[in-house]
Amino acid sequence: MSQVLQTSKHFQRPRGLAAAIYKNRAVYTLLLPGLIWYLVFAYGPMGGLSLAFKDYRANLGIWGSPWVGMQNYHYVFRDAAFWRSVWRTLFINLGRLIFEFPMPVILSLILNELRMPRYKKVLQTIFTFPHFLSWVIVSSVMINFLSVEGLVNSIVKSLGGSAFNFLGNTTAFQPMLYITSIWKSAGWSAIIYLAAISGIDMDQYEAAQIDGASRLQRIAHITLPNIMPTVTVMFILQTGSIMSAGFDQIFNLSNVAVRDVSETLDMYIYRITFQAPPDFGFSMAVSLFRSVINMVLLVLADRGAKLMGGSGLFA
Amino acid sequence: MTTERPRAATRRDRIEAIDIVLLVIITVWAFLIIIPVYNVIVISFTPQKTYLETPVLLYPKAITLQNYADLFEDGRIFAGYRSTLLILLCGLPLNLILTTSFAYGSSRSHYPGRRLIFLLVLFTMIFNGGIIPLYLIMRQLDLTNTIWSVVFAYGINTFYMIIMRNYFCSLPESLMESAKLDGAGEWRTLFSIVLPLSLPIMATITLFYAVDRWNEWYNAMIFIQRSGLQPLQLVLRAIVIESQVLDSYASADALLEARKFSMGLKTAAVVVTMVPVMCVFPFLQKHFVKGVMVGAIKA
Repeated sequence: MSQVLQTSKHFQRPRGLAAAIYKNRAVYTLLLPGLIWYLVFAYGPMGGLSLAFKDYRANLGIWGSPWVGMQNYHYVFRDAAFWRSVWRTLFINLGRLIFEFPMPVILSLILNELRMPRYKKVLQTIFTFPHFLSWVIVSSVMINFLSVEGLVNSIVKSLGGSAFNFLGNTTAFQPMLYITSIWKSAGWSAIIYLAAISGIDMDQYEAAQIDGASRLQRIAHITLPNIMPTVTVMFILQTGSIMSAGFDQIFNLSNVAVRDVSETLDMYIYRITFQAPPDFGFSMAVSLFRSVINMVLLVLADRGAKLMGGSGLFA
Repeated sequence: MTTERPRAATRRDRIEAIDIVLLVIITVWAFLIIIPVYNVIVISFTPQKTYLETPVLLYPKAITLQNYADLFEDGRIFAGYRSTLLILLCGLPLNLILTTSFAYGSSRSHYPGRRLIFLLVLFTMIFNGGIIPLYLIMRQLDLTNTIWSVVFAYGINTFYMIIMRNYFCSLPESLMESAKLDGAGEWRTLFSIVLPLSLPIMATITLFYAVDRWNEWYNAMIFIQRSGLQPLQLVLRAIVIESQVLDSYASADALLEARKFSMGLKTAAVVVTMVPVMCVFPFLQKHFVKGVMVGAIKA
């Protein structure tokens, strides 16, 4: 085999290339089904994004429709609902960074301090389970729990209070997003911090203990600094999805009563595409805008995470 | 996650006030996660009459299966189960075949175009066309209103593929070399050497795909309009979320609808959608910690 390689080096490149390709033909047949899938169902739609610069006519199809340049964007950028949805998305997801992001860190710190290994195992099971439920299920559970007739309001009423419609109130909607999101995902996200904690050198704790450090001091001065690189990387990666996070959740938790405060960019795209007379050119213009912004944010986040010494986006 | 690290240092500690505080916080937090789910299960087994009479229902005062009987009489849930199982049955093997062969193929070294192909794949992680062009493609392929649109729309999860690929890359190269010397081709090597060594990661990824398939709703909502074909999640959505009655918006129709679908029936629908995930979860949990996270963190 090495002889083949050596001889191929002496010939000019194309022939060597052909030989190398032929030699690896089994590898290409392994890759082929996946490649076809990627081309049709991932790159195909990207081609469809060209509609952003076209006037889509159903009878002419994606490729036959006439080009109209930036015309769609003229309409998009003049739509007040579009800009509102952009700012709302940023606002909601900024809140996620402030309120949701620290929760898994806190959870992992508490779990780590827990001294009962059996109980800890049970707790971890409870905390990670909701991650595997869809937002359709979680929303259904929450609607049952928080609606006017739900358990929370029943308790409030039996204590003499008046019922509060948690999911149908415009002021409460955003906090409810954070609470339900923490409910569903904090336990799962904590895993990565628990893994980081388990990598901390035990000697540090013993030395601190000999020096008389209290438990809180040990958390603050050993555990936290040790997992800080992981926390920073996760934070930067999270900022990369500031324009995209949470469609599944908002779509299933929202209802007509909170329509005005729940229309994020993705919700806006959904509405103009599927709940209004569709203008695919217009919809695609918004979608392309969204995809490009998200890509830029993700690439920046990836760079940032790598600068911080993390592994970046790609595992 | 549950690594047994030597806890000698802490075991010598006295129990401090902070321990109690943390224990209380974490226990309350865990209860807040359990209670909404528990409440759904309790209501689903409670007769409508008892439910209406009891202001705060904390435990099942009377048990009935009537809600489940009503639910299955409605029929939609059966149709939903059928669609979801079909999607799972056709989709899961597709996911595994595409992912495994692609992950193994791209884990091989020294073939022309290796980097290019991998970059093409990574690009799909940060940029996508979105649902509309995908819908147009499905329509062009004549797949809309069939379960195949949902099956094909989710072929490879690039994140899972990379986890698998990293695992394959970590296997000792000498094993593959010796297989090749014995005359085994790539396919033979994959099936008789690589896969038997990769059972934990294969189990993990299979379970992840299975849960994803079970939870799928968005693609189906866009691609499938025929109500008899809609998967379980969408049936649940129709029964619970779309029939919400809001005080200020309750119309006569909505109230009628609400009466038809009692709380008991709605919660029963949630339970039958949730139970399969509950059953798979223990196996999932066994694997995801050592398999996926370790792979993802180390790479």
